[in-house]
Amino acid sequence: MKPELTKGNEAIVKAAVLAGCRAYYGYPITPASEIAEAAALYLPRVGGVFIQAESETASVNMLYGAASAGVRCMSGSSGPGISLMQEGLSYLASAELPCVIADIMRGGPGLGNIAPEQGDYNQIVKGGGHGNYRTLVVAPASAQEMADFTTLAFDLADRYRNPAVVLTDGNIGQMMEPVRFADPIEVPAPPSWAVLGTAATRKNLIASIYLEPEKMERHVRKLEAKYRQAEVEAVRSESYRTEDAEFVLIGYGIMGRILKAVVDQGRERGHKLGLLRPITLFPFPTARIRQLAPEVKAFLVAELSVGQLLDDVRLALEGRRPVEFFSRVGGSVPTAEEVLEAVEQKFQFREVLIHG
Amino acid sequence: MSPNGKPDRGSVVMNAEECKGCGLCVEACPLKVLSLSKSLNRYGYHPAVYLGHGCSGCGICFFACPEPGGIRVQKRLA
Repeated sequence: MKPELTKGNEAIVKAAVLAGCRAYYGYPITPASEIAEAAALYLPRVGGVFIQAESETASVNMLYGAASAGVRCMSGSSGPGISLMQEGLSYLASAELPCVIADIMRGGPGLGNIAPEQGDYNQIVKGGGHGNYRTLVVAPASAQEMADFTTLAFDLADRYRNPAVVLTDGNIGQMMEPVRFADPIEVPAPPSWAVLGTAATRKNLIASIYLEPEKMERHVRKLEAKYRQAEVEAVRSESYRTEDAEFVLIGYGIMGRILKAVVDQGRERGHKLGLLRPITLFPFPTARIRQLAPEVKAFLVAELSVGQLLDDVRLALEGRRPVEFFSRVGGSVPTAEEVLEAVEQKFQFREVLIHG
Repeated sequence: MSPNGKPDRGSVVMNAEECKGCGLCVEACPLKVLSLSKSLNRYGYHPAVYLGHGCSGCGICFFACPEPGGIRVQKRLA
């Protein structure tokens, strides 16, 4: 297909429809509103369903219904709306229902503001709902990746029968760029476990209640095994100029993109910088970080939150190498020059006078 | 790159006009990256000069130098 100038949020919906998504339930919220807007435009055109629910709580439970019927379905929201969905996400994960939710992060906590931030990392990657579950998380950094990773999210959701989240910030959601969409696939037939309102599927009860502790434990262990398997099979990251890097910068979404410019500008000044951009945030590229550790002197994590990604990098490194940190919050996005200056200062590339 | 194959970890700035060419720093430098210049400073001494690379930033030359303000040592900590 020819590249089309598309807004990141719209790219999510177009890619979803092309990937066989036929149901959208959501409630508009800046900076994710264009997802609902595009879904309202495109889904009826292909015979799909668009419902503007009365709240995010309602929309996530509508997802539960659509996913139970074996339909590829999705929703989209931002910080406060995602918080409302967390109960439903826990139910979806426990009932092993595949679906995709896009979180276009905005400033927080509370009502916050509508500027880009990355403060939803913990509530999405660590599972903001109750119980032992995870969501599979992909983190696009361009309009093209919004499309590609939405397709990936649907595949991951189906493969692991688990909700998948497209997690990015207001910047990537609002950005317009040329996007080359994948060819449409046929709408997948409902899987054998789906509830179709027929006599044959009557036995397919979908629930998340296990009153006997032994059965509950078996279920949790089963989910756990699935997540461990995903950690081996599904983890993805992008490495940029890391071959001879002495210092590796880590960031995702818009930060990953800024850091790429920081690496190039730093290299021009003679600093051997590299970039590691996680593409899947769960499963987290722990193995890749550990692989890089002996080859580099130190890491720097840059994020639009106050140290949420930093925690995972520290856990991955287990103290093998020092980790520096750069962050902006509240909706301010740093320039590459600003980050480079911080990098130079933190890593003390500039020589400091010690005698004389 | 210093003679022992390690990357530079610092640098020295020699003040040629304060130097009286005693050569203590040249002797003291463990990496032998200092030498006495062939040219003369304005007092007619051969001042100590830095080779331009190989410094580890150890600061031993600074402590060996009898002239206040003769040597400045800069260290790269990363």
